[in-house]
Amino acid sequence: MKLQINNLFKSYKDPVFKDFSISFPENAITCILGPSGCGKTTLLNIIGNIIPPDSGTLNGFRDKQLSYVFQDPRLLPWKTVRENIEFVLDKNLNAPERKKQAEQLIKQVELEGFSCYYPAQLSGGMRQRVSIARAFAVPSDIILMDEPLKGLDAVLKQNLIKWFLPIWKADRRTVIFVTHDVDEALLLGDKIVVLSKIPANILTQVTLDIPAGTRNPESEVFKNKKQELLTALENKESG
Amino acid sequence: MKHFITKKKTLTVLSIILMLVLWKVLAVVFDSPLTIPHPEATFLAVVKLFAEPGFLMVAGSTVVRGLTGFILSGLLGICIGILAGISPGFNTFITPMLVTIRSVPVISLILLALIWFRTGVVPIFIGFLTMFPFICTNVSDGIRSVDPGLVEMAHFYKVDKRRILTGVYIPAVMPFIISGASSAMGIGWRAIIIGEVLSQPVYGIGTRLQLAQTYLNVEAVIAWTLIAIALSFIFEKLIRWGESYLIKWQNGL
Repeated sequence: MKLQINNLFKSYKDPVFKDFSISFPENAITCILGPSGCGKTTLLNIIGNIIPPDSGTLNGFRDKQLSYVFQDPRLLPWKTVRENIEFVLDKNLNAPERKKQAEQLIKQVELEGFSCYYPAQLSGGMRQRVSIARAFAVPSDIILMDEPLKGLDAVLKQNLIKWFLPIWKADRRTVIFVTHDVDEALLLGDKIVVLSKIPANILTQVTLDIPAGTRNPESEVFKNKKQELLTALENKESG
Repeated sequence: MKHFITKKKTLTVLSIILMLVLWKVLAVVFDSPLTIPHPEATFLAVVKLFAEPGFLMVAGSTVVRGLTGFILSGLLGICIGILAGISPGFNTFITPMLVTIRSVPVISLILLALIWFRTGVVPIFIGFLTMFPFICTNVSDGIRSVDPGLVEMAHFYKVDKRRILTGVYIPAVMPFIISGASSAMGIGWRAIIIGEVLSQPVYGIGTRLQLAQTYLNVEAVIAWTLIAIALSFIFEKLIRWGESYLIKWQNGL
Protein backbone atom coordinates (compact mmCIF):
# COMPACT_ATOMS: atom_id res chain seq x y z
CA MET A 1 0.00 0.00 0.00
CA LYS A 2 1.14 3.50 -0.75
CA LEU A 3 2.16 5.72 2.15
CA GLN A 4 -0.20 8.64 2.11
CA ILE A 5 -1.51 11.38 4.33
CA ASN A 6 -4.80 12.87 3.20
CA ASN A 7 -6.64 16.01 4.27
CA LEU A 8 -4.61 16.50 7.41
CA PHE A 9 -5.70 19.17 9.88
CA LYS A 10 -3.66 20.09 12.92
CA SER A 11 -3.72 23.32 14.92
CA TYR A 12 -1.96 24.52 17.99
CA LYS A 13 -2.43 28.23 18.51
CA ASP A 14 -2.38 28.66 14.74
CA PRO A 15 -3.26 26.08 12.14
CA VAL A 16 -0.13 24.10 11.21
CA PHE A 17 -1.81 21.85 8.67
CA LYS A 18 -4.97 22.80 6.86
CA ASP A 19 -6.24 20.18 4.46
CA PHE A 20 -2.69 18.98 3.81
CA SER A 21 -1.95 15.88 1.72
CA ILE A 22 1.33 14.22 0.90
CA SER A 23 2.57 10.83 -0.26
CA PHE A 24 5.85 9.05 0.28
CA PRO A 25 7.48 6.53 -2.07
CA GLU A 26 8.39 3.28 -0.35
CA ASN A 27 11.99 2.08 -0.09
CA ALA A 28 13.23 5.55 -0.95
CA ILE A 29 14.41 8.64 0.90
CA THR A 30 11.94 11.50 0.94
CA CYS A 31 13.35 14.80 2.15
CA ILE A 32 10.98 17.37 3.54
CA LEU A 33 12.52 20.77 3.13
CA GLY A 34 11.20 23.89 4.78
CA PRO A 35 11.96 26.78 7.10
CA SER A 36 12.05 26.37 10.89
CA GLY A 37 8.62 26.23 12.43
CA CYS A 38 6.86 25.09 9.26
CA GLY A 39 5.48 21.99 10.95
CA LYS A 40 8.10 19.50 9.76
CA THR A 41 8.59 17.98 13.22
CA THR A 42 4.84 18.03 13.80
CA LEU A 43 4.39 16.04 10.61
CA LEU A 44 6.91 13.42 11.76
CA ASN A 45 5.28 13.25 15.18
CA ILE A 46 1.88 12.70 13.59
CA ILE A 47 3.30 9.94 11.38
CA GLY A 48 5.07 8.48 14.42
CA ASN A 49 1.82 8.47 16.38
CA ILE A 50 3.40 10.67 19.07
CA ILE A 51 0.80 13.39 18.60
CA PRO A 52 -2.69 12.89 17.19
CA PRO A 53 -3.93 14.86 14.18
CA ASP A 54 -7.09 16.94 14.58
CA SER A 55 -8.44 15.13 11.53
CA GLY A 56 -7.22 13.46 8.38
CA THR A 57 -6.27 9.97 7.32
CA LEU A 58 -2.95 8.22 7.30
CA ASN A 59 -2.80 5.35 4.84
CA GLY A 60 -0.24 2.60 4.97
CA PHE A 61 1.46 3.69 8.17
CA ARG A 62 -0.44 1.96 10.93
CA ASP A 63 0.70 -1.59 10.24
CA LYS A 64 4.31 -0.51 9.77
CA GLN A 65 7.05 -0.53 12.36
CA LEU A 66 8.77 2.81 12.74
CA SER A 67 12.13 4.10 13.93
CA TYR A 68 12.83 7.70 14.86
CA VAL A 69 16.10 9.61 14.75
CA PHE A 70 15.25 12.60 16.90
CA GLN A 71 16.86 15.98 16.43
CA ASP A 72 18.75 15.52 19.70
CA PRO A 73 20.17 11.99 19.97
CA ARG A 74 18.06 11.11 23.06
CA LEU A 75 20.49 8.56 24.43
CA LEU A 76 20.19 7.35 28.01
CA PRO A 77 23.21 8.94 29.71
CA TRP A 78 23.53 6.04 32.17
CA LYS A 79 23.69 3.38 29.49
CA THR A 80 26.67 2.62 27.30
CA VAL A 81 26.50 2.83 23.53
CA ARG A 82 25.65 -0.86 23.28
CA GLU A 83 23.12 -0.78 26.13
CA ASN A 84 21.41 2.19 24.50
CA ILE A 85 20.87 0.19 21.33
CA GLU A 86 19.88 -2.96 23.22
CA PHE A 87 17.33 -0.93 25.18
CA VAL A 88 15.00 -0.60 22.18
CA LEU A 89 15.46 -4.12 20.81
CA ASP A 90 12.71 -6.69 21.08
CA LYS A 91 12.58 -7.94 24.64
CA ASN A 92 11.88 -11.44 23.36
CA LEU A 93 15.39 -11.68 21.98
CA ASN A 94 17.84 -13.34 24.36
CA ALA A 95 20.79 -11.38 25.71
CA PRO A 96 23.50 -12.76 23.40
CA GLU A 97 21.29 -12.17 20.37
CA ARG A 98 20.61 -8.58 21.43
CA LYS A 99 24.29 -8.00 22.02
CA LYS A 100 25.13 -9.41 18.60
CA GLN A 101 22.62 -7.18 16.84
CA ALA A 102 23.77 -4.10 18.72
CA GLU A 103 27.43 -4.82 18.02
CA GLN A 104 26.70 -5.28 14.34
CA LEU A 105 25.07 -1.88 14.11
CA ILE A 106 27.87 -0.26 16.12
CA LYS A 107 30.26 -1.66 13.54
CA GLN A 108 28.14 -0.31 10.69
CA VAL A 109 28.18 3.22 12.06
CA GLU A 110 31.93 2.90 12.56
CA LEU A 111 31.90 3.14 16.32
CA GLU A 112 33.76 -0.11 16.92
CA GLY A 113 35.63 0.08 20.19
CA PHE A 114 33.13 2.55 21.64
CA SER A 115 30.52 -0.03 22.72
CA CYS A 116 31.28 0.48 26.38
CA TYR A 117 31.49 4.28 26.26
CA TYR A 118 28.84 6.41 27.88
CA PRO A 119 27.20 9.11 25.71
CA ALA A 120 28.91 11.91 27.63
CA GLN A 121 32.27 10.47 26.56
CA LEU A 122 31.36 10.82 22.87
CA SER A 123 31.30 13.82 20.55
CA GLY A 124 28.02 15.22 19.25
CA GLY A 125 28.47 13.54 15.87
CA MET A 126 29.22 10.18 17.47
CA ARG A 127 26.13 10.44 19.66
CA GLN A 128 23.99 11.09 16.60
CA ARG A 129 25.54 8.03 14.96
CA VAL A 130 24.48 5.94 17.96
CA SER A 131 20.98 7.34 17.56
CA ILE A 132 21.02 6.35 13.88
CA ALA A 133 22.38 2.90 14.76
CA ARG A 134 19.52 2.50 17.23
CA ALA A 135 17.00 3.40 14.53
CA PHE A 136 18.47 0.81 12.16
CA ALA A 137 18.81 -1.84 14.88
CA VAL A 138 15.03 -2.05 15.15
CA PRO A 139 13.53 -4.03 12.26
CA SER A 140 11.48 -1.06 11.14
CA ASP A 141 9.85 -0.43 7.79
CA ILE A 142 10.03 3.34 8.00
CA ILE A 143 12.68 5.57 9.55
CA LEU A 144 11.72 9.09 10.55
CA MET A 145 14.64 11.47 10.76
CA ASP A 146 14.25 14.95 12.24
CA GLU A 147 17.19 17.11 11.17
CA PRO A 148 19.70 14.63 12.59
CA LEU A 149 22.59 16.64 11.15
CA LYS A 150 21.52 19.96 12.64
CA GLY A 151 24.25 21.64 14.66
CA LEU A 152 27.06 19.56 13.18
CA ASP A 153 29.77 21.30 11.20
CA ALA A 154 29.93 21.03 7.39
CA VAL A 155 32.70 18.43 7.23
CA LEU A 156 31.03 16.22 9.82
CA LYS A 157 27.77 16.53 7.90
CA GLN A 158 29.44 15.41 4.67
CA ASN A 159 30.98 12.43 6.43
CA LEU A 160 27.74 11.41 8.09
CA ILE A 161 25.94 11.53 4.75
CA LYS A 162 28.72 9.45 3.19
CA TRP A 163 28.45 6.61 5.64
CA PHE A 164 24.71 6.88 6.07
CA LEU A 165 24.02 5.92 2.46
CA PRO A 166 25.72 2.48 2.49
CA ILE A 167 23.86 1.55 5.67
CA TRP A 168 20.62 2.68 4.14
CA LYS A 169 21.30 0.85 0.89
CA ALA A 170 21.73 -2.44 2.76
CA ASP A 171 17.96 -2.85 3.09
CA ARG A 172 16.49 0.34 1.58
CA ARG A 173 13.95 1.16 4.21
CA THR A 174 11.56 4.03 3.62
CA VAL A 175 13.12 7.16 5.06
CA ILE A 176 11.30 10.40 5.78
CA PHE A 177 14.01 12.95 6.37
CA VAL A 178 13.21 16.44 7.57
CA THR A 179 15.71 19.23 6.99
CA HIS A 180 16.08 22.92 6.29
CA ASP A 181 19.36 22.42 4.40
CA VAL A 182 18.98 22.36 0.60
CA ASP A 183 22.33 20.62 -0.01
CA GLU A 184 21.56 17.92 2.52
CA ALA A 185 18.23 17.27 0.81
CA LEU A 186 19.86 17.16 -2.63
CA LEU A 187 22.54 14.72 -1.53
CA LEU A 188 20.17 12.31 0.20
CA GLY A 189 16.67 12.59 -1.21
CA ASP A 190 15.12 10.51 -3.95
CA LYS A 191 12.20 12.86 -3.61
CA ILE A 192 12.30 16.37 -2.16
CA VAL A 193 9.17 18.12 -0.97
CA VAL A 194 9.37 21.84 -0.20
CA LEU A 195 6.94 23.10 2.44
CA SER A 196 5.76 26.65 2.99
CA LYS A 197 5.39 28.45 6.30
CA ILE A 198 2.35 27.44 8.35
CA PRO A 199 -0.28 26.52 7.44
CA ALA A 200 1.99 24.23 5.47
CA ASN A 201 1.53 23.80 1.74
CA ILE A 202 3.62 21.88 -0.72
CA LEU A 203 5.44 24.54 -2.76
CA THR A 204 7.18 22.15 -5.10
CA GLN A 205 8.25 18.52 -5.38
CA VAL A 206 11.42 17.36 -7.05
CA THR A 207 12.48 13.80 -7.86
CA LEU A 208 16.08 12.88 -8.46
CA ASP A 209 16.92 10.00 -10.76
CA ILE A 210 20.64 9.84 -10.04
CA PRO A 211 21.11 7.48 -7.07
CA ALA A 212 22.16 9.16 -3.84
CA GLY A 213 25.86 8.75 -3.21
CA THR A 214 26.78 9.25 -6.85
CA ARG A 215 25.54 12.82 -7.14
CA ASN A 216 28.01 15.50 -7.99
CA PRO A 217 27.24 18.88 -6.42
CA GLU A 218 29.20 20.53 -9.25
CA SER A 219 27.06 19.01 -12.02
CA GLU A 220 24.50 20.99 -14.02
CA VAL A 221 21.60 18.75 -12.98
CA PHE A 222 22.43 19.23 -9.33
CA LYS A 223 22.80 23.00 -9.72
CA ASN A 224 19.52 23.27 -11.62
CA LYS A 225 17.63 21.30 -9.01
CA LYS A 226 19.19 23.39 -6.27
CA GLN A 227 18.10 26.57 -8.04
CA GLU A 228 14.59 25.20 -8.40
CA LEU A 229 14.39 24.43 -4.68
CA LEU A 230 15.91 27.77 -3.65
CA THR A 231 13.47 29.66 -5.86
CA ALA A 232 10.56 27.81 -4.28
CA LEU A 233 11.88 28.60 -0.80
CA GLU A 234 12.45 32.26 -1.66
CA ASN A 235 8.96 32.69 -3.12
CA LYS A 236 7.63 31.42 0.15
CA GLU A 237 9.70 34.08 1.97
CA SER A 238 8.17 36.88 -0.09
CA GLY A 239 4.71 35.33 -0.13
CA MET B 1 44.23 14.83 37.69
CA LYS B 2 46.44 12.75 39.98
CA HIS B 3 48.34 15.88 40.91
CA PHE B 4 45.05 17.56 41.77
CA ILE B 5 44.00 14.67 44.04
CA THR B 6 47.26 14.74 46.01
CA LYS B 7 46.94 18.49 46.37
CA LYS B 8 43.39 18.07 47.63
CA LYS B 9 44.50 15.45 50.14
CA THR B 10 47.31 17.68 51.38
CA LEU B 11 44.88 20.53 51.92
CA THR B 12 42.48 18.28 53.84
CA VAL B 13 45.29 17.09 56.10
CA LEU B 14 46.49 20.67 56.61
CA SER B 15 43.00 21.75 57.60
CA ILE B 16 42.74 18.95 60.18
CA ILE B 17 46.21 19.74 61.56
CA LEU B 18 45.25 23.41 61.90
CA MET B 19 42.15 22.47 63.92
CA LEU B 20 44.24 20.26 66.22
CA VAL B 21 46.86 23.00 66.66
CA LEU B 22 44.18 25.55 67.56
CA TRP B 23 42.70 23.11 70.04
CA LYS B 24 46.09 22.48 71.62
CA VAL B 25 46.81 26.23 71.83
CA LEU B 26 43.46 26.87 73.52
CA ALA B 27 44.07 23.99 75.95
CA VAL B 28 47.49 25.40 76.86
CA VAL B 29 46.14 28.96 77.22
CA PHE B 30 43.20 27.99 79.44
CA ASP B 31 45.26 25.36 81.23
CA SER B 32 42.16 23.78 82.76
CA PRO B 33 41.08 20.25 81.80
CA LEU B 34 37.62 21.11 83.11
CA THR B 35 37.24 23.79 80.43
CA ILE B 36 39.31 22.58 77.49
CA PRO B 37 41.07 19.23 77.84
CA HIS B 38 44.25 18.59 75.87
CA PRO B 39 43.72 16.84 72.53
CA GLU B 40 46.03 13.92 73.38
CA ALA B 41 44.18 13.34 76.67
CA THR B 42 40.90 13.40 74.78
CA PHE B 43 42.10 10.90 72.20
CA LEU B 44 43.24 8.68 75.05
CA ALA B 45 39.71 9.03 76.45
CA VAL B 46 38.32 7.95 73.07
CA VAL B 47 40.52 4.88 73.11
CA LYS B 48 39.39 4.12 76.65
CA LEU B 49 35.76 4.43 75.55
CA PHE B 50 36.38 1.85 72.82
CA ALA B 51 37.72 -0.52 75.44
CA GLU B 52 34.72 -0.03 77.74
CA PRO B 53 32.47 -3.12 77.82
CA GLY B 54 29.29 -1.18 77.08
CA PHE B 55 30.74 0.81 74.17
CA LEU B 56 29.36 -1.27 71.33
CA MET B 57 25.94 -1.28 72.95
CA VAL B 58 25.96 2.51 73.32
CA ALA B 59 27.26 3.35 69.86
CA GLY B 60 25.28 0.49 68.31
CA SER B 61 22.01 1.75 69.83
CA THR B 62 22.56 5.18 68.32
CA VAL B 63 23.43 3.67 64.93
CA VAL B 64 20.33 1.44 65.00
CA ARG B 65 18.13 4.43 65.85
CA GLY B 66 19.77 6.46 63.11
CA LEU B 67 19.33 3.74 60.53
CA THR B 68 15.74 3.03 61.59
CA GLY B 69 14.87 6.71 61.20
CA PHE B 70 16.76 6.85 57.94
CA ILE B 71 15.11 3.78 56.44
CA LEU B 72 11.63 4.89 57.51
CA SER B 73 12.12 8.37 56.10
CA GLY B 74 13.74 6.87 53.01
CA LEU B 75 10.83 4.53 52.28
CA LEU B 76 8.12 7.09 52.93
CA GLY B 77 10.16 9.90 51.35
CA ILE B 78 10.62 7.93 48.14
CA CYS B 79 6.92 6.99 47.92
CA ILE B 80 5.62 10.49 48.67
CA GLY B 81 8.38 12.02 46.54
CA ILE B 82 7.40 9.92 43.53
CA LEU B 83 3.75 10.94 43.90
CA ALA B 84 4.72 14.61 44.27
CA GLY B 85 7.01 14.32 41.26
CA ILE B 86 4.32 12.78 39.07
CA SER B 87 1.37 14.89 40.16
CA PRO B 88 1.75 18.68 40.32
CA GLY B 89 -1.51 18.84 42.33
CA PHE B 90 -0.20 16.47 44.99
CA ASN B 91 3.06 18.42 45.06
CA THR B 92 1.22 21.68 45.77
CA PHE B 93 -0.79 19.87 48.43
CA ILE B 94 2.21 18.34 50.18
CA THR B 95 4.57 21.34 50.00
CA PRO B 96 3.10 23.32 52.95
CA MET B 97 3.41 20.20 55.12
CA LEU B 98 7.05 19.69 54.18
CA VAL B 99 7.83 23.36 54.74
CA THR B 100 6.15 23.21 58.16
CA ILE B 101 8.07 20.11 59.21
CA ARG B 102 11.31 21.69 58.07
CA SER B 103 10.63 24.97 59.85
CA VAL B 104 9.65 23.54 63.24
CA PRO B 105 12.65 23.84 65.58
CA VAL B 106 14.10 20.41 66.32
CA ILE B 107 13.84 21.13 70.03
CA SER B 108 10.06 21.68 69.77
CA LEU B 109 9.71 18.35 68.01
CA ILE B 110 11.72 16.67 70.76
CA LEU B 111 9.69 18.24 73.55
CA LEU B 112 6.47 17.10 71.90
CA ALA B 113 7.89 13.66 71.17
CA LEU B 114 8.89 13.33 74.82
CA ILE B 115 5.25 13.78 75.73
CA TRP B 116 3.97 11.39 73.05
CA PHE B 117 6.42 8.47 72.91
CA ARG B 118 8.53 6.24 75.11
CA THR B 119 12.15 7.28 75.40
CA GLY B 120 13.74 4.90 72.88
CA VAL B 121 11.33 5.96 70.15
CA VAL B 122 11.85 9.72 70.56
CA PRO B 123 15.24 9.89 68.74
CA ILE B 124 13.93 7.69 65.93
CA PHE B 125 10.89 9.91 65.52
CA ILE B 126 13.07 13.03 65.50
CA GLY B 127 15.48 11.47 63.01
CA PHE B 128 12.58 10.48 60.80
CA LEU B 129 10.98 13.93 60.82
CA THR B 130 14.21 15.77 60.10
CA MET B 131 15.30 13.45 57.30
CA PHE B 132 11.96 12.87 55.59
CA PRO B 133 11.53 16.31 53.92
CA PHE B 134 15.00 16.16 52.38
CA ILE B 135 14.47 12.79 50.76
CA CYS B 136 10.93 13.61 49.70
CA THR B 137 11.88 16.92 48.05
CA ASN B 138 14.91 15.42 46.34
CA VAL B 139 12.95 12.49 44.91
CA SER B 140 10.18 14.72 43.56
CA ASP B 141 12.77 17.08 42.04
CA GLY B 142 14.43 14.01 40.53
CA ILE B 143 11.22 12.75 38.96
CA ARG B 144 10.52 16.17 37.48
CA SER B 145 14.04 16.29 36.08
CA VAL B 146 13.52 13.17 33.97
CA ASP B 147 13.98 14.22 30.35
CA PRO B 148 10.55 13.89 28.65
CA GLY B 149 12.41 13.32 25.39
CA LEU B 150 13.88 10.10 26.75
CA VAL B 151 10.48 8.90 27.94
CA GLU B 152 9.00 9.75 24.54
CA MET B 153 11.82 7.85 22.85
CA ALA B 154 11.21 4.79 25.02
CA HIS B 155 7.45 4.89 24.36
CA PHE B 156 8.06 5.36 20.65
CA TYR B 157 10.21 2.23 20.49
CA LYS B 158 7.51 0.39 22.45
CA VAL B 159 9.80 -0.41 25.37
CA ASP B 160 7.67 -2.06 28.06
CA LYS B 161 6.67 -0.19 31.22
CA ARG B 162 8.93 -2.16 33.54
CA ARG B 163 12.01 -1.38 31.49
CA ILE B 164 11.02 2.28 31.18
CA LEU B 165 10.89 2.38 34.98
CA THR B 166 14.19 0.56 35.52
CA GLY B 167 15.97 1.98 32.49
CA VAL B 168 14.78 5.58 32.40
CA TYR B 169 13.15 6.75 35.63
CA ILE B 170 15.16 5.02 38.36
CA PRO B 171 18.63 5.89 36.99
CA ALA B 172 17.52 9.49 36.43
CA VAL B 173 16.25 9.84 39.99
CA MET B 174 19.13 7.96 41.63
CA PRO B 175 21.55 10.92 41.90
CA PHE B 176 18.78 12.93 43.55
CA ILE B 177 18.03 10.14 46.04
CA ILE B 178 21.69 9.92 46.94
CA SER B 179 22.14 13.65 47.42
CA GLY B 180 18.92 13.68 49.48
CA ALA B 181 20.19 10.77 51.57
CA SER B 182 23.49 12.54 52.11
CA SER B 183 21.95 15.79 53.36
CA ALA B 184 19.38 13.83 55.38
CA MET B 185 22.11 11.81 57.11
CA GLY B 186 24.10 14.94 57.91
CA ILE B 187 21.14 16.53 59.66
CA GLY B 188 19.70 13.26 60.97
CA TRP B 189 22.64 12.18 63.14
CA ARG B 190 22.70 15.48 64.96
CA ALA B 191 18.95 15.40 65.52
CA ILE B 192 19.04 11.84 66.81
CA ILE B 193 21.78 12.62 69.31
CA ILE B 194 19.92 15.69 70.57
CA GLY B 195 16.89 13.44 70.91
CA GLU B 196 18.93 10.99 73.00
CA VAL B 197 20.32 13.75 75.22
CA LEU B 198 16.82 14.86 76.11
CA SER B 199 14.98 11.54 76.18
CA GLN B 200 17.73 9.59 77.98
CA PRO B 201 17.30 6.07 76.63
CA VAL B 202 19.37 3.49 78.54
CA TYR B 203 21.97 3.18 75.77
CA GLY B 204 22.90 5.93 73.37
CA ILE B 205 25.67 8.40 72.60
CA GLY B 206 23.36 11.25 73.61
CA THR B 207 22.70 9.64 76.99
CA ARG B 208 26.43 9.32 77.61
CA LEU B 209 27.04 12.90 76.51
CA GLN B 210 24.45 14.12 78.98
CA LEU B 211 25.94 11.94 81.71
CA ALA B 212 29.46 13.25 81.04
CA GLN B 213 28.19 16.81 81.09
CA THR B 214 26.49 16.25 84.44
CA TYR B 215 29.83 15.15 85.95
CA LEU B 216 31.64 18.02 84.20
CA ASN B 217 33.71 15.40 82.39
CA VAL B 218 34.61 17.62 79.42
CA GLU B 219 37.04 15.04 78.10
CA ALA B 220 34.25 12.48 77.79
CA VAL B 221 31.87 15.02 76.23
CA ILE B 222 34.41 15.75 73.51
CA ALA B 223 35.37 12.09 73.18
CA TRP B 224 31.75 11.05 72.52
CA THR B 225 31.42 13.99 70.15
CA LEU B 226 34.42 12.75 68.20
CA ILE B 227 32.83 9.32 67.99
CA ALA B 228 29.59 10.91 66.72
CA ILE B 229 31.59 12.81 64.08
CA ALA B 230 33.34 9.60 63.07
CA LEU B 231 29.98 7.80 62.71
CA SER B 232 28.59 10.58 60.56
CA PHE B 233 31.77 10.53 58.47
CA ILE B 234 31.62 6.75 57.98
CA PHE B 235 28.02 6.87 56.80
CA GLU B 236 28.72 9.80 54.48
CA LYS B 237 31.57 7.75 53.00
CA LEU B 238 29.26 4.75 52.60
CA ILE B 239 26.77 6.88 50.71
CA ARG B 240 29.50 8.30 48.48
CA TRP B 241 30.77 4.80 47.85
CA GLY B 242 27.25 3.72 46.93
CA GLU B 243 27.01 6.74 44.66
CA SER B 244 30.16 5.93 42.73
CA TYR B 245 28.92 2.38 42.32
CA LEU B 246 25.32 3.22 41.35
CA ILE B 247 26.00 6.15 39.07
CA LYS B 248 29.27 5.12 37.57
CA TRP B 249 28.18 6.63 34.25
CA GLN B 250 28.92 10.06 35.71
CA ASN B 251 32.49 9.17 36.63
CA GLY B 252 34.09 9.62 33.26
CA LEU B 253 32.63 13.08 32.71
